Amino acid sequence: MPKPTTVRIPDDLLDEINKFVEELKLDRSAYLREVIKKGFSADKQDRILQKYTRGELSHLEVCQTLGWNPWEFLSQLKARNLRLNVELEDWLDSAKLA
Amino acid sequence: MFQIVADSSSLILLAKCSLITNFCDQFQVIVPSSVIVEVASDELIRRYPDASLISELVSRGNLTVRSPEYGEFALPITLHRGEHDALRIASSLPDCLLATDDGKAIKAARFLKIPFVITPKIVIELYKSERITFQKARDALEKLSKIGRYSPEIIGDALLRLVEENNAKANNR
Repeated sequence: MPKPTTVRIPDDLLDEINKFVEELKLDRSAYLREVIKKGFSADKQDRILQKYTRGELSHLEVCQTLGWNPWEFLSQLKARNLRLNVELEDWLDSAKLA
Repeated sequence: MFQIVADSSSLILLAKCSLITNFCDQFQVIVPSSVIVEVASDELIRRYPDASLISELVSRGNLTVRSPEYGEFALPITLHRGEHDALRIASSLPDCLLATDDGKAIKAARFLKIPFVITPKIVIELYKSERITFQKARDALEKLSKIGRYSPEIIGDALLRLVEENNAKANNR
């Protein structure tokens, strides 16, 4: 069961939302719920991946938090033009095997 | 022969750049059982051919699956189960390396003074030991950049070292 909450929204943004839901004949509450859900998911992914790039989270900690499997992690990085959190220093310090 | 404990990040990248079989032929590769669950579960095997290849390497005995020993093992940072187990096994074996492509796991390895190796270095070493051709090594490094999301600085330096190795081999002929 959805619970009520209160959020203060700037007048101009609220006007724009009201006009939009009226034009498209949408249910205002359902629409706002959907927008918050989508926005939250995208923002959560961005923030978790920022923590990954700073080396605060590991590859698998990211996957666990975002519900991804380890094989899709690289394509998710590619979609956002992000790189692995391995530094040049790590490459230089990487052990020799022969 | 080197003993190398690999975590999921390295297994995935080695499979993606088509070198996992060469890697397992050249080194004694140990993988924690938790890592196999993470990368080659029944569901993942159905969806990803590379996951199936890892499972096959386990079945053929090319990848040795181990569980970490019980006992105290304190890390200053949190890690996921497989990454944690890989460090734990690597720390319990003498002359053992950790293969990882995760910055946080590398930090933990540095803290525990466990030598580590990242996949671009494995590519160079496989070329040096003549397990793969120059072309295959170059293709693998390019895949590590495009698919593996390695930084251009690391791949650029790795390509340079590969060319240097190639020139050194040519001069010795």
